[in-house]
Amino acid sequence: MDYVFHFGPILDRWPLLLWGLYRTLELSIISMVFGLVIGIAGAVAKVFGPRPVRAVASAYVEIIRNTPLLIQLFFIYFTLPFVGLRLSSNVAAIVALSIHLGAYVTEIIRAGIESVPAGQIEAGKALGLSGRQIIRFVVLTPAIRAVYPALGAQFILQLLGSSIVSAIAAEELTAVANNLAMQTFRNFEIYIVVAVMYFVAVQVFSALFRWSGRKLFRWKV
Amino acid sequence: MTRMPPGRTIAGLLLALFAMVAFGLAPAKAVTTDEIISRGKVIIAIDTTTAPYGMVDQSMEPTGFDIEVANLVGKALGVPVEFVTVTSPGRIPSLLTNRVDMVISIFSITPERALQVAFSIPYAGQSSVVLAPKSLDIKGPEDLVGLKVGVTRGTGEDGLLTAQAEKFPGIEILRFDDYASITQAMLSGQIDAMGGGDYGDMYLQKSVNGEDFELKYILKSFFFGIGVRKDSPELLQWLNTFIYSLKNDGTLNELSLKYRNAPLPELPVF
Repeated sequence: MDYVFHFGPILDRWPLLLWGLYRTLELSIISMVFGLVIGIAGAVAKVFGPRPVRAVASAYVEIIRNTPLLIQLFFIYFTLPFVGLRLSSNVAAIVALSIHLGAYVTEIIRAGIESVPAGQIEAGKALGLSGRQIIRFVVLTPAIRAVYPALGAQFILQLLGSSIVSAIAAEELTAVANNLAMQTFRNFEIYIVVAVMYFVAVQVFSALFRWSGRKLFRWKV
Repeated sequence: MTRMPPGRTIAGLLLALFAMVAFGLAPAKAVTTDEIISRGKVIIAIDTTTAPYGMVDQSMEPTGFDIEVANLVGKALGVPVEFVTVTSPGRIPSLLTNRVDMVISIFSITPERALQVAFSIPYAGQSSVVLAPKSLDIKGPEDLVGLKVGVTRGTGEDGLLTAQAEKFPGIEILRFDDYASITQAMLSGQIDAMGGGDYGDMYLQKSVNGEDFELKYILKSFFFGIGVRKDSPELLQWLNTFIYSLKNDGTLNELSLKYRNAPLPELPVF
């Protein structure tokens, strides 16, 4: 192998790389929160909602899941201004990431809801719980516990998928890597370092996710 | 389900990553003109997103200043040309991983790049400029304060405008992946001004308000060379000879008039 590796120029710029990692985590976590809210709302709408609401939720899920995230990103950033809605790179990235994640989370949680036996809901009604209490305690809590690992996997994909927002000039770890590559031309070294950073970030995130799952769902029914 | 000790998992993954990198990097081979001719084709990296050097025509075929030079290389060698499209960040890697024999893609000659690749003498020259709609009054970097300026990541304009943004805080630099994206951002009003080549206003349509664009101020002049691997001196010498004859018989000047509406600037040699 003829290529000589020089990691020095890359590791010298570690503050910039750390800032990029911080931005990746920021984008990922904000879009995970919004995505989760959208997903829960969508799943409840698809299972319990009246027909028109179910149709809208299904259309949303099908459109988002069957088109690439990059196209959705371009649409929100480049095309919406022509109908009057101009979002900054950062906001557009968060909006696109949240809407994208929301569709997948909808389907995951819907599967969880459908795994809750119908008898549970009837028991809830028999106990005199209100509709909202039933949805929250009898349906959603067991549902989310059941699909918690699947949610975790989807969130990891979201963290890694945030790497494409550099296409609309939003800066995060991959954008920083690309900028450094253009300044130093040390592509191999840069992408090895950044891959390791993503790897470590995902490991830490998974561990935290599992830990919080154990705390949230302490009681097995 | 039994679980493997985590230390082993991580070590195994790092080993796999290293193996992929080590074996994925085929050793850079020197390539000579004889090898190219006996191989039967010359493989050239181009960019199709930056008018007028590299673009696609109505039938989605590559065309432009760089593409014509590439075709002339093939003609001089007597072999067909195989084009490989690369993005700006992908030019040097495509050479170092043996994917292409040479790069003809608005490749500005800089000493930093020359650490990784070898450049021929310039075959074209270009100024990096700031472009904006006519209604904006911009004469220098101080007028960009408070505006959003789009650049293509890693180009000369990126470096220059980033340096100016550091001197005049308040300039917001947005880095896109290619020239097509910044024109799109300009048309949808996501940026107020952009860094581009001095041919930019020729190829931009009207702005979002229907105005024409104009060149505001010049950042720097660059010269483009053909890039080859450092260990291909024979090919480099042939390319220098080739470019020299193209300059002498006026072909390069004709191409410049055709694609840039301007004569070929004075090209220094080294």
